[in-house]
Amino acid sequence: MKKDYSILKKSDVPAFFASLANEMQLIGPKQLFSGDVTFDVIQSHKDIYWDYGHVVYPPKRFLLPHFEDMFRYTCDQEIKIEPTCNPQPQAIVGIRSCDVAAIRFQENFFSYPIVDPYYKEHLNNTVLFNLVCNTPPKKECFCICCDSGPWLESGFDVQLTDLGDRFLYEVGSDKGEKATEPRAYMLLPATPADIEARRQIELQADSRFQTVSYVAKAINFISADEVPAKIWEDLGSTCFRCGACTNLCPVCTCFTVDDREESDGTFTRCRSWDSCQYAGFTREASGHNPRPTFGSRVARRFYHKTSYQYIIRDGRHGCVGCGRCITACLTKLGLPDVVKRIRREMHEFLPPKEKAAEV
Amino acid sequence: MVLTPARPRRMWGVTDQPSANLYVPMIAIVQEIIDETPDTKTFRLAFEDKEYAKSFEWEPGQFVEVTVFGAGEAPIGFASDPNERSFFEITVVERGKVTRAMHALKKGDKVGIRGPFGNCWPLEDMKGKNVLIVSGGCGLAPLRPAILQILANRKEYGNFLLLYGARTPADRNYKYDLDAWAKRDDMQVLETVDVGDESWKGNVGVVTTLFDKVKVDGENTVALTCGPPIMIKFVTLELLKMGFSADRIVTSQERYMKCGVGKCGHCCINHVYLCTEGPVFTYAQMKELFELKL
Repeated sequence: MKKDYSILKKSDVPAFFASLANEMQLIGPKQLFSGDVTFDVIQSHKDIYWDYGHVVYPPKRFLLPHFEDMFRYTCDQEIKIEPTCNPQPQAIVGIRSCDVAAIRFQENFFSYPIVDPYYKEHLNNTVLFNLVCNTPPKKECFCICCDSGPWLESGFDVQLTDLGDRFLYEVGSDKGEKATEPRAYMLLPATPADIEARRQIELQADSRFQTVSYVAKAINFISADEVPAKIWEDLGSTCFRCGACTNLCPVCTCFTVDDREESDGTFTRCRSWDSCQYAGFTREASGHNPRPTFGSRVARRFYHKTSYQYIIRDGRHGCVGCGRCITACLTKLGLPDVVKRIRREMHEFLPPKEKAAEV
Repeated sequence: MVLTPARPRRMWGVTDQPSANLYVPMIAIVQEIIDETPDTKTFRLAFEDKEYAKSFEWEPGQFVEVTVFGAGEAPIGFASDPNERSFFEITVVERGKVTRAMHALKKGDKVGIRGPFGNCWPLEDMKGKNVLIVSGGCGLAPLRPAILQILANRKEYGNFLLLYGARTPADRNYKYDLDAWAKRDDMQVLETVDVGDESWKGNVGVVTTLFDKVKVDGENTVALTCGPPIMIKFVTLELLKMGFSADRIVTSQERYMKCGVGKCGHCCINHVYLCTEGPVFTYAQMKELFELKL
């Protein structure tokens, strides 16, 4: 597959996505009656709300649904099991770079070393139309610190950069090429000036971020388990255990499995999102809980997000800098605040000699 | 000698996936139910699909996800002889929704089985060494296949000692086995109970009180332990005092699990998914995982 830049004029956008909608379901940013923007099924290409900035609710639910039926069974006369996974082709349009990076993280997690058939099916049927952030980022965004934005070098199927009256159209995968082909006649070749315009956007991006998170030092402390339990307990004491951070995190994947009885007497095995911030997450049937304190659960979350061990395992650290944990948390337990606190407090905890060496 | 609980030959989702979907169980039939203690039963199961039953292999220390249709799924360790291919046994303590439903099962009922999952006791690496097994309560269940395997190849191991603790004499699992093993002259069995009664003539106290009654060569012995977390902690500390090196103390860890294939995240200890990389760890491996710190 050759990497190529083209131009999609904004006047052709409606026809382009209307034609795409004939082949697959469109998911995109949609403005609700309340004025909020969220990712939802797009009925008409006019509903795609291109200037949305950043949504609080990540589009991960289109690949890993809140509740997903795994199979249905009957158990009155004889046991009959019918798998229910049947995903439809879909295109997620206008997804941001951080969310694409998160989906690639999840893809890696769900396919190695054992392949999860449901996630694989969903992803195989999904084309990602990434939209580069060239508007000023929200004040919580810090993707620039996490190597996941504001634009991507790879990982997208198609990447769009807004250049005013036109989009710079970049194909990044075979799946993207396949989705482009039937509509390729609407694309124009990009001029060097277009590519230069995009380069300028990239150059300006760095200075626009208000939140930065220097994770490197925190990674050291957390990976070596050097953060004193007291810091975690302090952080945990403010946690409301609402689970919003893990639910809104586009990287988090944990789920639980339940059997549900249907009104017709059949049963459905269903998996649903779960959160390591809940006490019941690790509590065993005997009542023993290996992570009994709030602090130990907060420590767990940030260990998963930033430890070296996970970087080696999953290829990158588990944060894409979307800033949703900052927006969601009632008590400022977002990643940048925790990292800042660990860096500061660890400095205070160090004995004076080491502190001197540190400087 | 460095012991590493190895990846077994067969593991669902890696080498042995009978259906296209690794979350869909195979059907097994309850052949027999044995009452062990007031809250524990052993279920003898055989696969409905005879062809699959023939190919179903597992190793001591591995576990299966058992579905009680209508109630849900729970991870349970194998408890029978791995060489017995026509059936396998699991021992279940009545605790939650699924295990309660399992205790209500009758002979001939059907359950769903996914597995085998997890790694196994390093029985191959232990050959030529003395073996010490320390177990508490229903922690004897995942060790029973290892004991039967060692007894089947008795000449390949040195001295063989089993220390077992239960809460009360009525709570002893596998009474028939314990009595039979105690009569053997190629293994030594010592038992204790936390609370005795008139019928109990043996030791009273926690399982570590048995350590004073035996002589163990800490240099040349491998210890396998399984039981409640608090027991594992004190047993490990005692074994270290007796001169066991960290890689010769082997434990089976227990965690809440849902998927069995390292995806749901419940059983994760630091970065290790217990259902795929465990549940058997040496103390040397456990030391690397901060969440298992003693």
